Amino acid sequence: MIDDIGQPMQPGQPVIQLDHVTSQLGDTLALDDVSLRLDTARIAVIGSNGSGKSTFARLIGGLTRPSTGGVRVHGVDAAKDATALRRLVSIVFSNPDAQIVMPTVAEDVAFSLRGTKLSKPEIAAQVATALDDFRLTELADRSAHELSGGQKQLLALCGALIRRPALLIADEPTAYLDARNSRAVAEHLLRPQGGHQLVLVTHDLELAARCDTAVLFDGGRVVAQGEPTEVIDAYRASLRW
Amino acid sequence: MRTARASDGDGHAMITLYRPGNGWLHRLPAGPKAFGILVVVLVISLLPTSWWTVMIAVSVTVLGYLASGLGLRELGRQVLLIRWIITITVVGQLIFLDVESALSNTSRMMAAILFAALLVLSTRVGDLLDAFERGLRPLGRLGIDPARIALMLAVAINTVPVLARLALSVREAQRARGTRSSLFTFVVPFLVVALKHADELGDALTARGVR
Repeated sequence: MIDDIGQPMQPGQPVIQLDHVTSQLGDTLALDDVSLRLDTARIAVIGSNGSGKSTFARLIGGLTRPSTGGVRVHGVDAAKDATALRRLVSIVFSNPDAQIVMPTVAEDVAFSLRGTKLSKPEIAAQVATALDDFRLTELADRSAHELSGGQKQLLALCGALIRRPALLIADEPTAYLDARNSRAVAEHLLRPQGGHQLVLVTHDLELAARCDTAVLFDGGRVVAQGEPTEVIDAYRASLRW
Repeated sequence: MRTARASDGDGHAMITLYRPGNGWLHRLPAGPKAFGILVVVLVISLLPTSWWTVMIAVSVTVLGYLASGLGLRELGRQVLLIRWIITITVVGQLIFLDVESALSNTSRMMAAILFAALLVLSTRVGDLLDAFERGLRPLGRLGIDPARIALMLAVAINTVPVLARLALSVREAQRARGTRSSLFTFVVPFLVVALKHADELGDALTARGVR
């Protein structure tokens, strides 16, 4: 779906579009009249805690609905058809423990393909390929809970990508990891394979700099959008006091 | 650190019973295997109280582990895991019954547990759940969704070690702040982190296509 990683998509290609979106979570206005259009392959979303970036990720992932305004992701109206949206999207969260559903590594990856029309041998073959791709083959029959934090997050990423999503949302995927594991997860996230669009919510500005576009959230609003280096500079400037 | 490893180990023991292998028992489909093991367990349970029962229960269990390819070492490991159940049963029965009855009852129970372990040792949880789902299919007519029940079981099995780890982290956080351990001071924060985990797991399941 994405022809060339790093380049803006062609007109008519899938995009993420928000029109005057607000999201009220209890007493908090998490998103305040946000309008934006994202059509590059790798999008970094940055901002302080509570700035609205995770709410944005949940909205485009179909996990929550906007209070007002419209959200369209790859042609699907998020408010009207969250189920269709969730078929298009895979999400990786920051806490690797909360993403493991099945006891062993191979079973957990295979879980992502449950409910598809694939036969058991086809699922097994796809799981084997995916595990090989993530260098998890030797751990296939190990308890997923025995893995290190980095391996668990790679497993979560593997389980997310085996669904071949049109859009992968990673919400602070390296937040719980050390430098080495962060790097391993980042390399898998940012490599030019898979043909999916990536929305990466992160506090890691080096990671954000490697994306094609960056969006800066502050107080529930988009305060900067564009070239990652410029947006990161704007963010750093806003942090000085 | 010692406590952390012990807790992880316990969690591990609870959910990673499956031992990879290529023996005939491993290759047998989960449904017929579960049914066969159920029949053996029932037959052993119905044996009369006698020294013969003790011999048959022990022999069948040993043969079961040898024939399945899992071996006597695995049998020893399983016996070790249930050592307290065996001890309590034997001691409890010896107080009220004669030696023959106590050992017959205990050997029947041991054989039943160890045979049930053969099922989970030689079958992946995913295959067991598939078999379970197929077995529950007739309940679909009553409006019960077998896939949902199978998923609920998988999540329940899988959440045990996570909750053990969360409990440990709550206790460690309290110790680090010098709080004295009590049921109340433990339960409230534990419930908070457990509910947070449930929320996150719910999101992860939704994100992976579970409605």
